[in-house]
Amino acid sequence: MWLISPMMFVLMSVAVFPVVYSLWISFFDLKLRRPKSAPLIWFDNYIHVLGDPGFLDSVLRTSSFTLMAVSAIMLLALLVALLLNENFIGKKFLSTILLIPWAVPYVANGLMWKWIYDSGYGALNGALLQLGFISNYLIWLGDTDKTLALIANAFVWKEVPLATILLLVNLKSIPEDLYSAAKVDGANIWQRFWNITLPALKPGFTLVMIYEVMMAVRHFDLFFILTEGGPADASHVLSWEIYVETFRKLSFGLGAALSYLLAVVTFLLAFFIIKTLGKKI
Amino acid sequence: MNKNMNLELNRREFLKLTSAAGLVGTGLGGMSINAFAADSVNLFTWSAAVDTVKSHANAFEKKFNVGVNYSNSPWAQYRDAGIAKLVGKAPVDVLWVSDAWLPEWVESGWLAPINKYPELMKYNADTADFCVKSMEYKGKQYGLTYYTDYMGFFYDDSKLKKAGITAPPKTWNEVTEQCLKIKAAGICEFPFMLSMAKESWLIEFITAMNYSFGGRFVDDTGKAIMQDPQKGAAQALQWVVDAVQKHKIISPACVEIGELNGLKSFGSGNHAFAMLARYRIRTLNDPKQSAIAGQVKQALMPAGPKGSNATVGWLRFYGLTTQAVADKTREANSIKLIEWFGGKADGKYTFQKNLLNDLGSGFGVNSLFKDPEVIASVNAYTDIKIYESAQKFAKKKDTIAPWFGEWDEANGSLYQSAVLGKSTVENALTKSASVWTDLAKKA
Repeated sequence: MWLISPMMFVLMSVAVFPVVYSLWISFFDLKLRRPKSAPLIWFDNYIHVLGDPGFLDSVLRTSSFTLMAVSAIMLLALLVALLLNENFIGKKFLSTILLIPWAVPYVANGLMWKWIYDSGYGALNGALLQLGFISNYLIWLGDTDKTLALIANAFVWKEVPLATILLLVNLKSIPEDLYSAAKVDGANIWQRFWNITLPALKPGFTLVMIYEVMMAVRHFDLFFILTEGGPADASHVLSWEIYVETFRKLSFGLGAALSYLLAVVTFLLAFFIIKTLGKKI
Repeated sequence: MNKNMNLELNRREFLKLTSAAGLVGTGLGGMSINAFAADSVNLFTWSAAVDTVKSHANAFEKKFNVGVNYSNSPWAQYRDAGIAKLVGKAPVDVLWVSDAWLPEWVESGWLAPINKYPELMKYNADTADFCVKSMEYKGKQYGLTYYTDYMGFFYDDSKLKKAGITAPPKTWNEVTEQCLKIKAAGICEFPFMLSMAKESWLIEFITAMNYSFGGRFVDDTGKAIMQDPQKGAAQALQWVVDAVQKHKIISPACVEIGELNGLKSFGSGNHAFAMLARYRIRTLNDPKQSAIAGQVKQALMPAGPKGSNATVGWLRFYGLTTQAVADKTREANSIKLIEWFGGKADGKYTFQKNLLNDLGSGFGVNSLFKDPEVIASVNAYTDIKIYESAQKFAKKKDTIAPWFGEWDEANGSLYQSAVLGKSTVENALTKSASVWTDLAKKA
């Protein structure tokens, strides 16, 4: 027991204590700009957050972002995994290329997309103009109707490789005999995909969905780099709200309460996915 | 066995070495190797003009035989880092403070007034009025100027001439007319460059426009008046909304364009007019950094129907911490350091001139406008007369209060909503006023 005590101490210090302490401060009206006065207010921070229309708006934006991003990731990852499961010339090269977005850090990814989306000199406008799809430069991140979808696109670009790998591993585990038997029974390619591949991919889908939903709901980096929650709050999602409350308004108590609500939401989502999709794994 | 012992010793030596390296890395080691450690002044700044600061701090150390423990943090994290240091009681004696944070930091008990130090207060006589006011809170002064500047109105002379315009606009109506003329001539798609991205610059842009329209966000008693259509704030915002939505002389993408990107866009020759920090004219007239070098001129801020050439001025200053004042030696050394940087060093405004020469940063010292070296330095890229005359119209932000940061966060989004047509000017300003009033009540 004493052999593991140093590691237990480290874990308690860097993991358990901060988590418990942040829960503790979520019950206080702790503002860093008046640190001497932090009254215990019990659940007032939670009540305040849940009654704030701005919080509900940010929950809706987070849900919208998550839905867009996770559906796109699942679909694209499935298509790419199916492609890489076949044998063709250049497969290894394509597999290597596919990993690049995964290797790019989120901050670098955000800066890259900021350049691409820029309405004045961005590559997206340049490409569309040269291809003749547009006659004038369009506004991308500055258009409130497009902002969330564009950030979701940048998120999808980064996340698809990992989802693909997870699905590909699952695809490789499907016994070839099943396909041979189905062919003998006269099943066409669509029937084989629908009746063998898709059901067999359920564990992979569940894993990808849980992971990507958790990533999307909590995602912050791209919002910080691309829009800072704007324009006009169009990308003011839950993680951005936590940042603003904690580090801009210096309301550590409220920020901690928001973080716990986000943690609960993430936990409930994962639980729901496992209960609905994962029960047959 | 001996071998094992050697290994044991090596491990210990390794641990000692790595611990020492860690201490040096965190700055703790620096304390022990500093020859002046006992009397050192702890100076904390954001990471601007680092070499200029270091060089001037070295001169201070030689002159007074007092060490300077200098540390810095990037601007983006500076407020958080500074507050964390102050709350955690990390040693900070003198630090750069933005005028926007003054009430917050004073109310938190982190900054000490300097009124009892005549050696510092004497500089007020030679300091621009808005600078002194920007360092005051509840009747007390909290530092000496590090740098100051104001929102400037710039135009690309070649584009105006090309459109047959002989003089820059004096009113915002003339700005609209000239922009439409330039646009009609096909010179620029969006002749006016205004950055409306939600960043710390946004409040400076909109306050400058407010002032030039004769408007204010709040009155002298701190009551929100921005929502009053007669006070100018509504007219200023309406002008921006019309410029974007109706006249199309400002790009609707302005809500995603920050100050730095706006500078690049104007410097690339995409616009005829721009509102930018005054010191940016040095970059704009530098052939290595600008496609329109030599063509950029400054004019007084155009006036609204009931307004003037007023603009917003901002200030960053050397603040003295309460922890420094609590120790007589640290207090005395800190006062010396503040004067060395924010006042005169060996009888000269050396640091202010170095900042101007190295970076083009503005100064709040009135007499420097008569200094031959300063005149020559500024005239190399603009006209010092317009620099000086526009600075006389600069006023401090009227929204500086302990809750400024929280209000600014909401106000920025509301302004963007109006500019994008998602909200009316009236609604945006009424909501902004309501946020202000709520925060003031809570405080």
